[in-house]
Amino acid sequence: MEPALRVVARRAVVVAVVFLQLGFVARGYWADHKEFAFQMFPESSTWRADVVRVTADGRRVPIELSWSGYRWDELVRDRGLRYPQFRHHADAGLANQLAFLDAALDWVADNTPRDRETRYLEARVTSWHNADRPRVEVLRSGVREGAG
Amino acid sequence: MNVAAVGAPPEVRGMVARLDELLGRRVSMRALALLRVLAGPAVLLHLQPFLSDALDGRTYRDAFYEPYAAWYPELPDSVYVGLLALAAVAAVAMSLGFLTRVATATTFAIVAYNLFLSTTHFHNNRAYLVIVLGLLAVAPCGRELSLDAWRRRRRGRPAMDTTAPAWPLWLLRFECTAVYGASGLSKLLDPDWFGGTVTWQRVVRARDQLEAWPLPDWAVSALTDRGFHTGAAKLIVLTELFVATGLWWRGTRYVAVWVAVGFHLAIEGSASVQVFSYLAIAVLVVWAVPATRERVLRIDASAPRQRRLGALVRRLDWLARFRVEPAPPGSRLELVDRDGSTLRGGAAVAYALSRLPLTAWFALPTLLLPGVRRARRPLSAE
Repeated sequence: MEPALRVVARRAVVVAVVFLQLGFVARGYWADHKEFAFQMFPESSTWRADVVRVTADGRRVPIELSWSGYRWDELVRDRGLRYPQFRHHADAGLANQLAFLDAALDWVADNTPRDRETRYLEARVTSWHNADRPRVEVLRSGVREGAG
Repeated sequence: MNVAAVGAPPEVRGMVARLDELLGRRVSMRALALLRVLAGPAVLLHLQPFLSDALDGRTYRDAFYEPYAAWYPELPDSVYVGLLALAAVAAVAMSLGFLTRVATATTFAIVAYNLFLSTTHFHNNRAYLVIVLGLLAVAPCGRELSLDAWRRRRRGRPAMDTTAPAWPLWLLRFECTAVYGASGLSKLLDPDWFGGTVTWQRVVRARDQLEAWPLPDWAVSALTDRGFHTGAAKLIVLTELFVATGLWWRGTRYVAVWVAVGFHLAIEGSASVQVFSYLAIAVLVVWAVPATRERVLRIDASAPRQRRLGALVRRLDWLARFRVEPAPPGSRLELVDRDGSTLRGGAAVAYALSRLPLTAWFALPTLLLPGVRRARRPLSAE
């Protein structure tokens, strides 16, 4: 005879894992990041973006030009964001891709301390959701303190 | 029965009791032991890009990353790289079955820690790997196919019980089908996917790569034709849903396994999915009936062909399906199945090969041959 506590614990663990997994699958239908939702090859969507640094004096400098010793393709290497100027497939869906781009803008803004002129980064994104017409939107990083 | 169920209606109490019996039922851990062996290489492949970066003096922190939570602990680079190296060592130990429980738990803990460091680390294949490692870590799957078991035998100590409560195996089966089911369902509910737009656009955009393959022009034309994808997309969706459901029933299980392997090989040939194909095929071993040595293969050791088959079965019977027993000289090869029915000669060879992990995919279709189907003699005919 097994201890009752072990039987109950086993049941609780199994039920919890099953409900957690089902919850993750359901969450995949609305979340940008679809962890454990297992939506494979979800879209044929594509995107490209013109990313610029907007400086304190109002200039808009493309990130293809290095600045203060920084290069975009060294700062942002993953998730298909290295060369945003070229049209790419959104591997895990458009919402996921743009969430990553948005987060990358913030990360670059926050992690380039030698840059004293950029106020914020801005991406003008053109996206094609599957066969839909292109859509344009603008993403911005947070404003950097002390720029200029 | 626990306190929570005492006040419940009899039907609920009955269901809870049946669930507890199912989860606590002792079954063979052989499939999980084999999966443990196979999971080590998947972990090494998974860790390779992280370790390669580390050797070049880079970690995830040197470029864009996005923590899931501010409170999640981040380690100094040297400790982080050390952990990755430890995970690689632990993965090898896990596969070999050396200090299996500790090695598997260590592998799981580090791979999971690394996965949750950043949203950028997350991929479906890595999520699946973490699930598999987590369930292997809680299952006593080191009592066979392991150095631990070998050392125990060498010291003259009795072998440990290779059966254990079934719940990790059932959970792994659930997770396995959740992967196919979730993927198939998401495509079924998306009109662009089910209607063929997604696959058509993907193929058309990759037409340059397609034309680089040694394919005839008509095949390239067919693959880039919109109408082809209207049907092909439905076939893909139904394949995933069939695998997700077909694995649960014995009547369709072998077909589902065969289809799943073919499906993964096709994906591997057409897309970059990291360790997913290898891992997903490896996980299919959990669908083997969790009992060992229930079939008997009787071989005449004086017949070279039978002797070779016996050696092959002994070497490749990683799921311990067979007992290989000697038959009197001059006997035909005989295979006795679980239900007592027998097959002889070529049909027995086909059936034996269909139950070995490495040859099953090639041998399973031969079981549909009329000659093989007719060869089975029920128990009552003996």
